[in-house]
Amino acid sequence: MTGSPILEVRGLKVSVAAQPETHIVRGVDLQVNAGEVHALMGPNGSGKSTLASTIAGSPAYKVDEGTILYKGEDITKWRPDERARAGMFLSFQYPTPIPGVTMVNLLRSALQARRGAEVPAREFIAEMRSTLAQLKMDESFARRYVNDGFSGGEKKRAEILQMGMLKPDLAILDETDSGLDVDALRTVAEGVNELKRPDMGILIITHYERILDYIKPDFVHVLVSGRIVRSGDFELAKQIERTGYDPILQELGITRTEEAVAP
Amino acid sequence: MTQATLAEQYTEAAVSAASVHRGDPDWLVERRAEAARAFAALPMPTQALRPWRYTDVAGLDPAGFAAAAASVRIDGAVPAGAFVGSLADGAAKVPVVRERLGSLLTATESRFLAANAAKWGADGVLVHIPRGVAFAGPITITVDASAVVNEAVYPRLLIVAEERSEATIVVRTTSGDAPVMAAGAIEVFAGQASQVRLLLDDRWGAQTRDFTWVRGRLERDSNFQVGSIAMGGLLVKQTVEALLEGEGSTSGIRAVALGDANQHFDFVTLQDHIGPRTTSFVEVKSALAGASRQAYYGITRIGLDAVGADADQTNRNLLLSNEAKADSDPVLEILTANIARCGHHAAVGPVDAEALFYMQSRGLDMRGALQLLVSGFFYSVVGEFGLPEIADELSGRVQAKLATATL
Ligand SMILES: Nc1ncnc2c1ncn2[C@@H]1O[C@H](COP(=O)(O)OP(=O)(O)OP(=O)(O)O)[C@@H](O)[C@H]1O
Ligand SMILES: [Mg+2]
Repeated sequence: MTGSPILEVRGLKVSVAAQPETHIVRGVDLQVNAGEVHALMGPNGSGKSTLASTIAGSPAYKVDEGTILYKGEDITKWRPDERARAGMFLSFQYPTPIPGVTMVNLLRSALQARRGAEVPAREFIAEMRSTLAQLKMDESFARRYVNDGFSGGEKKRAEILQMGMLKPDLAILDETDSGLDVDALRTVAEGVNELKRPDMGILIITHYERILDYIKPDFVHVLVSGRIVRSGDFELAKQIERTGYDPILQELGITRTEEAVAP
Repeated sequence: MTQATLAEQYTEAAVSAASVHRGDPDWLVERRAEAARAFAALPMPTQALRPWRYTDVAGLDPAGFAAAAASVRIDGAVPAGAFVGSLADGAAKVPVVRERLGSLLTATESRFLAANAAKWGADGVLVHIPRGVAFAGPITITVDASAVVNEAVYPRLLIVAEERSEATIVVRTTSGDAPVMAAGAIEVFAGQASQVRLLLDDRWGAQTRDFTWVRGRLERDSNFQVGSIAMGGLLVKQTVEALLEGEGSTSGIRAVALGDANQHFDFVTLQDHIGPRTTSFVEVKSALAGASRQAYYGITRIGLDAVGADADQTNRNLLLSNEAKADSDPVLEILTANIARCGHHAAVGPVDAEALFYMQSRGLDMRGALQLLVSGFFYSVVGEFGLPEIADELSGRVQAKLATATL
């Protein structure tokens, strides 16, 4: 089932742009091929969101070493909008509120940017309606300001609504499952499954096995202190659900306090 | 014309003669003569005066400009009994004009207002809304100075809203590419329980310098809402004041400015809580590209009798380029301890980096993201007005201006 590489992260080291002495990602290698679903797990603060934001091109982080390839091309220096237009999508762990900008305006501009062409209003509305319906979201939602006053679950649905409209080739879902009730989780996961294509790669960051029951991962990775310390299949996620990270940390000879202060 | 002959236009003799020639009633001839005397006596404001601190008016003495009149077009349905039309006609036909005209914005308080009171012409407009009458839709007054070249215009608007009346007035100001000096005066009388909405839609040409005053006097339970969209002009200074005299009266001032190149915007507001249980809201926002500049000086005054006053004043400035600059100077003067709320907030800074990254991560480039952000930032000023056409149009105009702005 393995297709061509969509994402290749090679020897990536990342620090906080505003405080260069803060090294967060400390040597990550990761390859996501077309048709694959990868899950990234790991304790709080291990650097999962930092890795995701860096792949999406966030200016808050600085790549100190390593490269990021997208569909074989080195995009380490690309602007975030260039990456997005090329088909990358990040579902934010904490989606940013943008008061005054409606969902519909953002979606329209984003879709035009992604397609590089005007999207006729009728076509846009039709597409938005069907995506809203698929995610069981009310149409009034589109008239609200982006992430402004949204409940936790609404924010996550709004992210997947955008993914549904933009039809990315690489989707990074950062804790899209957190904040969703059981029914919403199923709806959102089914939505993602419907958007899944054989030529697409998916990276799911999560703390829980549940979302992976719906969107079956081909690989599971564990990030600790900015490094992938273990990779495996779905079984690894199930094991973490049962026993937590402690057995893995113990095996590696790291205690939680050490992990927090390790250079 | 030489400097001397230009200045002669503003002498008492010349002003009176022109007024008689126009066919003004005697009382108005005398008012204009008074204004000419005030003009002769008043100096130009200097930056030592706090409301003028951020704007240099050297070289902008009205005496250096021949007086011209902008043309005026009025659109919108006027209900029976109401008057919307020439102020000169109104002065002759509508009795309240004699008592009200020039009583709120007096000729003696500024050289610009003195020039206006002496020289307003065909660009004078009266809106009189009788008791209990509500206008069905907005009235749009277009003040068009596109034929004016290197001269001064003195538009004047008097709005008298009687008890329980209701109206929305849009004042659109336009000019061509030639230099124009404008000194405008808008007086608003909001009668008991009346509702008056006034939207200033600045579409001045790139070489126009405008000094406009708006002052509203609010009677009991009245509501006066001012919106201002400043996008045009080289220098636009608006002074907007609400005198909350009547118990339970409410005022709102919402202004937005979008600057580029060397545009200079200066807003001064006064929310004067005079009567008890009065409410005021001020939100002045700017987004500044190029080397444009915005200054805000606002005073919330809560007088001795203004028990239970509720005031909220906000100034937010988005700097879209490194050369842009904003100054914010909100002031509170509170003379009574018994108030409901008195808040003020000011912020100057670049666009929120997280919001920008979020939008960029959806494929919008920097300019595209700023276009959406600024349109959204500005929406609050028009959103309240219930004029969807103007709101939609504003977002289009913001996008168009930012498409070429220096970021
Ligand atoms: N912009 C930043 N400035 C300072 N520190 C940061 C910044 N971004 C991340 N960090 C720090 O880097 C570490 C990793 O953060 P990150 O958000 O990537 O963790 P995470 O694995 O996603 O955690 P969680 O499971 O709680 O979401 C944390 O200690 C965090 O405080
Ligand atoms: Mg995280």
